[in-house]
Amino acid sequence: MHDFYLARTSHSPEINFQFSRHHLSMTGEAYPENANDFFLPVLGQLKHYLDHTDGQHIVFDFRLTYFNSAATKMLYTLFGLLNESASTRNRITLNWFHDVEDDTILEFGEGIQDDFLALDFHAIAEDLAAA
Amino acid sequence: MLNMHAVKESRAGLTEIESEYIARSLMRQSPTVTPQNTSFEVLDLLATHHEVIGLPVLENGRAIGLINRNIFNDEMAKPFRRDLYGRKSCIAFMDKQPLVVNEQMSIQELSFKVIAGGGKTLNDGFIITDNDGMYLGIGTGEDLVKVVSYLQAEKNRLVMESINYASVIQKSFMRSSREDMAEALEDYFIHWEPRDKVGGDYYFCKKFHDGFFIALIDCTGHGVPGAFMTLIMAAFLDHILLEDNRHDPAGALALMNQKVKTALGQISEQNIVPIDGGKHDHHDKSDDGMDTAFCWVSQAENKMVYAGAKTPLFLLGLGDTEITIIEGDKKGVGYVDTPMDYTWRNQEIRLDKGMSVYLTTDGIIDQIGGSKEIAFGKKRFCRLLLEQRAKPMAAQAPAIMKAFYEYQGSQRRRDDVSFLGFRI
Repeated sequence: MHDFYLARTSHSPEINFQFSRHHLSMTGEAYPENANDFFLPVLGQLKHYLDHTDGQHIVFDFRLTYFNSAATKMLYTLFGLLNESASTRNRITLNWFHDVEDDTILEFGEGIQDDFLALDFHAIAEDLAAA
Repeated sequence: MLNMHAVKESRAGLTEIESEYIARSLMRQSPTVTPQNTSFEVLDLLATHHEVIGLPVLENGRAIGLINRNIFNDEMAKPFRRDLYGRKSCIAFMDKQPLVVNEQMSIQELSFKVIAGGGKTLNDGFIITDNDGMYLGIGTGEDLVKVVSYLQAEKNRLVMESINYASVIQKSFMRSSREDMAEALEDYFIHWEPRDKVGGDYYFCKKFHDGFFIALIDCTGHGVPGAFMTLIMAAFLDHILLEDNRHDPAGALALMNQKVKTALGQISEQNIVPIDGGKHDHHDKSDDGMDTAFCWVSQAENKMVYAGAKTPLFLLGLGDTEITIIEGDKKGVGYVDTPMDYTWRNQEIRLDKGMSVYLTTDGIIDQIGGSKEIAFGKKRFCRLLLEQRAKPMAAQAPAIMKAFYEYQGSQRRRDDVSFLGFRI
């Protein structure tokens, strides 16, 4: 299937799903006016990919600095899809990037780690000031 | 001709304002010519009517073209043109495909058509016809721009007036809570700052003879939909908070959960938006609810009972050197993925004299700002609370909000901000 890319906007993140390389990433912020409209196509693409992928090592790089509560619900659905695939068919690494001082994003990530145990979760601290 | 004074006199409502202005509102009377007129006659006509930019050419009452003043003059000024074309029909240099619109066409549709026509239509104007396609008059790009800007400004004004008044209602709606807080407490503050004048945050306080019930609530969304949610929640909370369960915030949360899920139909699997479902069927499915902290405070018994739905409590005792964060439960109230029979925990907290209690929605903690453009964060929030501890509560709020605004800097506000504190 084709790779899937959406450019970053002020209210929505960059989506870079390189299915051909089994490398997926999400970068930026997520507070679209309508979370369903933004995320459903993204989730649809991901689900289709996962439904047709077996025995792969998939890497998901998560680099969001803000998401509102509606987006959070969608992200839970997304991690649910990954977790399900990781517990049956594929190995999935979730790289959780956060700034060294960003306790909010780190704390959220730790919640994800607790809730989705099949994911190979790595919190990765970066210094965004140096970036 | 467009009468801007009459336009400004209009008092149409938001839905009417679109339909009140149609292509006919822009209609100007203009001299016209027919194919029987010669190019010399058109030159004369253009010379005497300086205001004409586009000159309609009619045949049997229908427009067959539009002559543009500049193009026509330029063409006729070229060598030999006057001799060749002067006595012939004026249609040689007309635009044979001008934009022709029905008088009933909406301004919006007309704008799209004019823009699609490019600079030509904006400059030359367009032909307006009746239902039978007969010529009525012309409209100019300049008038169209005037009306479109006016409509835009007027729509903004109507929306802003409406929201400003909604804000008055939402504030007065919380008045009894403010009055009860003032009666129940001496040293306290409440800061309520919706992102869009109205919002999904709200606070609730009710005083009883043996203490008071206080809640800080963050409903899904912000702006007008968020404000709708606060009204729904407030109505339920008023009903639920009867004499007995005020001592049981967790029980009150469970009742709220059931009420919200039932009222908004957020109970079955059917309500979960299907990932593969098309774009058409998810718009009427809601997944709304609230994150909140419900607290029962009894000063006489030196205790408080707290039940949290994704909303922590911040405590600072007199001798403490650090803020204690009491985490609530991880489920929000009313959402589709919160089970109907979900139960929250009551946590009992001993309140000693001089202890400060703070509640905030995620609007402060999650706000993006600073040089790294990352969230404000709980650590920074707690550090500020510690720095301000010596001040009376009412003086702490502005100092903390000042630091918050500085952190936010030029970043857009992400969410509603609410924040309250009281000292026993």
